[in-house]
Amino acid sequence: METYALLTNPDLADMRHIVLTALIAGLSVVLMCGVLSPLVVVKRLGFVGQGVSHSAFGGIGIAAVLGAAGWIIPGGAAEFAVIVAFCIAAALGMASVSDRRITPVDTAIGMFLVGSMALGAVLVQASGSQTSWESILFGSILVAGEREAIAGWALAAAITFAVWWWRRPMLFWAFDEDSAAAFGVPARRMKLTLMILLALAVVTAMKLAGVILATALLVLPGAIALRLSDRLWAVVALSVGAGVAGLLGGFVASIELNWQAGPSMVLVLTLLFACAAAWTWAKSRRAAA
Amino acid sequence: MSPTPLPPHSPALRPSGESSPPIATLGEAAVDCRNVSFSYPGREASVLDNITLRVNPGERLGILGPNGGGKSTLLKLCLGLLRGNTGTIRVLGMSPDEARRAGVIGYVPQRLEAELGMPMSARELVTLGAAWRCPPWRGIDPKRRDRVEHMLELVGAKDFADRPAGKLSGGQLQRVMIARALAADARILVLDEPMVGIDAAGQRVFADLLATIHREIGVTTIVVSHDLRAIVAGSDRVACLARRLHAHAAPQGLTPQVLAELFSHEIAGAPGTLTGMHVHAHSADECCSEPHVHPSAAASANLPGSSSPVQLGVSAKREGQA
Repeated sequence: METYALLTNPDLADMRHIVLTALIAGLSVVLMCGVLSPLVVVKRLGFVGQGVSHSAFGGIGIAAVLGAAGWIIPGGAAEFAVIVAFCIAAALGMASVSDRRITPVDTAIGMFLVGSMALGAVLVQASGSQTSWESILFGSILVAGEREAIAGWALAAAITFAVWWWRRPMLFWAFDEDSAAAFGVPARRMKLTLMILLALAVVTAMKLAGVILATALLVLPGAIALRLSDRLWAVVALSVGAGVAGLLGGFVASIELNWQAGPSMVLVLTLLFACAAAWTWAKSRRAAA
Repeated sequence: MSPTPLPPHSPALRPSGESSPPIATLGEAAVDCRNVSFSYPGREASVLDNITLRVNPGERLGILGPNGGGKSTLLKLCLGLLRGNTGTIRVLGMSPDEARRAGVIGYVPQRLEAELGMPMSARELVTLGAAWRCPPWRGIDPKRRDRVEHMLELVGAKDFADRPAGKLSGGQLQRVMIARALAADARILVLDEPMVGIDAAGQRVFADLLATIHREIGVTTIVVSHDLRAIVAGSDRVACLARRLHAHAAPQGLTPQVLAELFSHEIAGAPGTLTGMHVHAHSADECCSEPHVHPSAAASANLPGSSSPVQLGVSAKREGQA
């Protein structure tokens, strides 16, 4: 077993350090995504997550231009901040367009998605950057170092704290936006807060699973948990648990089968969802019988 | 057009065992609309035209009108969810925005607007109403928990309080939403289309529930509906709204003539668009062989002062047909 050897063989200490650091960084991502995921599923924000993650292309393009001009260091914290800022702006833009009902929500998200991708492609080419599109698309968790792990945990703590802090008005708003506003709940502030938290989680998740698969980390854990329970805090715990299981399973599959970690993780989560769906189906059949 | 004069009061519309409470007329109004008009941006036609309406504290007002008659618009203006009206609206002496922030209105929405996939029990939903303003670092104090339990009991939701919202029937969910509004300590309870999706037996139970709430708490209640049954079930006064206020008085004033005038707005739409349609309202014991073709306008109710149910319906006739 490659995994067992990696964990126990003294000759593989360097490799073990890399993998464990990546795993610690990954745990921060599945924690933040697991906390937000039930809300994303219930509020049907999966496509918004997709739009935000693809908007990162625009941020990557701007960062590449700024890097070529010598204003920021490629791969540094400033580059990450530029991408995060671009994604937050895109998320707020989508929320604003959908609020004003200027354009149908899915059309607005689609416009932001393709516009950002096109902008990113043009700017990266113009800057002459050697950006690896494969790592952007599918993630490169194994390159996550201690700095990324610390940043990931800081963000995970911030997101978890924000959700805990606003849990009551956020849940009130999430259940019924119109009536929440009538009760005095700051509905618009809740929506914008959730969009910013989503943008932060998506950009961090991109590091693990890439642009294409980042949304999976926001959708699948919540979808699995909602299949297994209808109790609020149990759903949140199960969502985080499903994310952790997906992360560990994806890492093992990646090591054993030499697959990429991001896609492996998403495949494990998809398998878990299929199992949860089958369990629900069997349970309902038993109840009907 | 001035509001239609109304006949004397009769208790025939009251839910079983209920006596009619006196209508307060002095002091600060719960809701006071004066000369309110409203048009949506970019549209010439006004949705509300010079509405003047006062709801007294403790009163139960039904706002009856056809779809598109401006009921929801008026409701949203009073809730502070819509702006841009002319005239003035005061809610317990405050502007709608101030009233909304103060949480004096408990709003019970139509069922379909809620995210029923939320993994929350009925009790948790009601608790949110009571405690969403609590500081996040504090738990919910026993007084609020007691209030939640009391409201669950008052609306008869104790038996299913631990059931997830998505597994409640329409009637059960509506009770929970009412309990949530009352647990929030709202001074005005607003129910939007409360009879939608509830069967005939449930409607009677609902009418009794409204009466119980009014008797126990005395909260000001506003019921907005296009359904005659929802309105007559528990209102001290009825405002008939179809862009203008057609009548505003006790429910016994809902004569067939008023109803026909009110719902002709929905059927006729813009003048000349549906020539050949005609609205009729009559007692059930009157002879009528015309087919009722418009479900939203078709309704029946035991109106006060009427010995038999009044039927409201619409007939389609060809031009020139007798």
